[in-house]
This record gives sequence, structure tokens and C-alpha cells, in this order.
Amino acid sequence: MAIICPTGFDAARLKRAVHDTYAAVARDPGGDFHFHRGPEYAARQLGYDLAELESLPSVSTAPFAGVGNPFLMGALPKDAAVVDIGAGAGMDCLLAGRRTGPGGSVTGIDMTDEMLDRARAGASEAGLDHVRFEKGDITHLPLETESVDVVISNGVFNLVPDKPALFAEIYRVVKPGGRLQFADITVGVELSESVRNDIDLWTG
Amino acid sequence: MIEALEAAGFRSARACHFLDSFAGTSKERVARKYQVQGANFMAFK
Repeated sequence: MAIICPTGFDAARLKRAVHDTYAAVARDPGGDFHFHRGPEYAARQLGYDLAELESLPSVSTAPFAGVGNPFLMGALPKDAAVVDIGAGAGMDCLLAGRRTGPGGSVTGIDMTDEMLDRARAGASEAGLDHVRFEKGDITHLPLETESVDVVISNGVFNLVPDKPALFAEIYRVVKPGGRLQFADITVGVELSESVRNDIDLWTG
Repeated sequence: MIEALEAAGFRSARACHFLDSFAGTSKERVARKYQVQGANFMAFK
């Protein structure tokens, strides 16, 4: 069951709250948040390889706040064009960049400058020149039509109220035969309108 | 999520794994109340 946006929902307020929350995570990943962050969590609860994460720059791994593991569903093809939607500090992009190799490309899209600063620093430190980051609204991707082999994402789509617009935009950029492998949350019970209007629950 | 993916044109959309992503957080009780889990999804164009 997906979270369905209620009538009159303040999407602009949600977007600001999401921005502010993840900017705060970027500034202080060890701060007081009601979701897990960091590589130890990713390995313990999501199935990432801790040794591999520890080999990546901590500037990118410390703020990681995903909810799943997009790499468990299948290996990324070598030389593939990969996009990470809502890339945050870039941990998944760095992993993707290692898998595609320098013949591929990885583009991380995020709207938060603080996260983008970390992501770019992480890619530079890791020496992954084919991993780049762009600021953007994920419902209007700064990408050519049918230019992407694999779209990944981790814990971001649930933060977008207009799922039809989001998925239509992703469909536009994926090549025929390409795929989407991503992590997000599911909700197992019907939520009341008051719960669906609670910005704190969306951003959590 | 699956319905929204397929409505956009993706095919063979499915949830592949479910994860207890909120265990140990301050929102664990709320997550259990609303049966909120992390999940890995896949879909093809």
C-alpha cells in the first residue's frame, strides 16, 4: 500500500521539510534524527557489505539514510548509464560507479546543496571521475529522454506526493529495455487523512 | 507503488525484499503501528 496524498495536502511545505531535514543530516549525520544513518546501519539492517562501505569516503557514507538496498536485485551492467534519484551524499552512486566502471556513467540527482557538496567531495576522494552530481527536482529530471540504463533510488519516492508525475518522468528517461531498481517504504494499513497530512510522518 | 509504476508504463513491477528499516529508531513504535517497512522494488521498461 502506498501513501496516497490527501486532498489539499501542502506539497510545498513537505518539500521544504524534506529539504531542511536532509540538509540537517548532511551538516551533522550523528545528530538526533528519528531514522538510522551511516554504514553500520546499512550493513546491519539492509544487507550492504560493511567492508566495502568502509572503503568509501565517510563524507559520503556517514549521512546515508536509505531504507533498503537497490543492489540486491541484480548486478549493474558494466559500462551502464545509471541515475540515482535523490542521491543524498552519494553512497549508492559511489557503489554504482565501482560496478559500472569508468566506461559507464553515474549521475546523482538531489535538491539539497549540503548533500551535493558531500557527494561531490566523496566522488573526488574516491577517484570516480565518471560519477557526477546535479542539483534538480526529481519530478523534472535534468536528463535526456531514453538516456538511462538503470535508475536506482533509496528511500526517496515516498517523499514525493505526486507518484504518477514522478514515475512518468522516470519512465521518460529510461531506455527501452532499461530498468528501475530501488528501495522505498511500504505501509501495511490504511492511513487516516489526519495521518496522511502529518508532515512529520512523511519526512520520517 | 506497484500500481503507480505499472500505470506509468513499467512492466513486471514487484517488491523483492522487505526490510525492518525502522527497528531501533525512535519511530519504531509508529512504524509497527502502521506496518511500515523498507522494501526493494524492481520494474522494467
